[in-house]
Amino acid sequence: MEGAAMNAVVPMTVPLNAFLAVGTILFVIGLAGVLLKRNALSMFLSIELMMNAVNLLFLAYARMRGDASGQMVVFFVIAVAAAEAAVGLAIFVALFRAKRTIDVDQIASLKW
Amino acid sequence: MSLELVVFAIASGLAIVSALAMVVVKTPVRSVISLVVTFFALAVLSILLAAPFIAAIQVIVYAGAILVLFLFVVMLLNLTKEAEATDRRPIQKLLGLVSVVALGGLLLGVTLRAGAPPVPAAGGLIPAKDEIPILGRLLFSDYLLAFEALSVLLLLAAVGALVLSKRRFD
Repeated sequence: MEGAAMNAVVPMTVPLNAFLAVGTILFVIGLAGVLLKRNALSMFLSIELMMNAVNLLFLAYARMRGDASGQMVVFFVIAVAAAEAAVGLAIFVALFRAKRTIDVDQIASLKW
Repeated sequence: MSLELVVFAIASGLAIVSALAMVVVKTPVRSVISLVVTFFALAVLSILLAAPFIAAIQVIVYAGAILVLFLFVVMLLNLTKEAEATDRRPIQKLLGLVSVVALGGLLLGVTLRAGAPPVPAAGGLIPAKDEIPILGRLLFSDYLLAFEALSVLLLLAAVGALVLSKRRFD
């Protein structure tokens, strides 16, 4: 795809693996947040961090291959994250108004 | 050592440290602020990866819009009280930590072993200053359907958020 070609002519000074490592570490930190935190809002924040970590991997591969499609994917991820944040936060506000808490241990109506 | 490496080291270190702070800190407001710092560091990394447009929307949309929305909700719900609610589940916490470490090692091993994909032939490559026209052309040709679907999704999200915050749940 000719139109997608980008600036791969310039070699990368920072190795690709360094970006991959940083992205993966950030993803794991986000995962830890989702698994260890009990506040729904903090878990949601951690999910945002995980999405951004994956975005970094997309950008690294896009740069590596000189293909702008990776950047397009990141663009869509950011837009979907905006929609997700709007709906998710509205759900939390509604939940808080109904239950007076957003602690996931205390919101167990859908369990069993 | 080149300047690029120095910038990479500082930005990635800042990103990782503030992401850790986001998970460790108990107060939701401080979590959000540390995540803002992480996103700014990630924007710096995006610029290093020759993606200035993505860096700009990262700062404007993520740090500017989404996290301000988070901050707004944190303040609205007044979450400071239940921040120090004691955790009475040591076993689950330990299991979570173990699975995080295991999955993290697995992911790190797999990503680092994946290595570099084959680079396409270096003919007809365009310098970095023409990046945004390329993205625009891609957006309105190859990704046109996804773009239209995205606009519908954003409309639905706006309507959905409105409905959710208007309705009474009893």
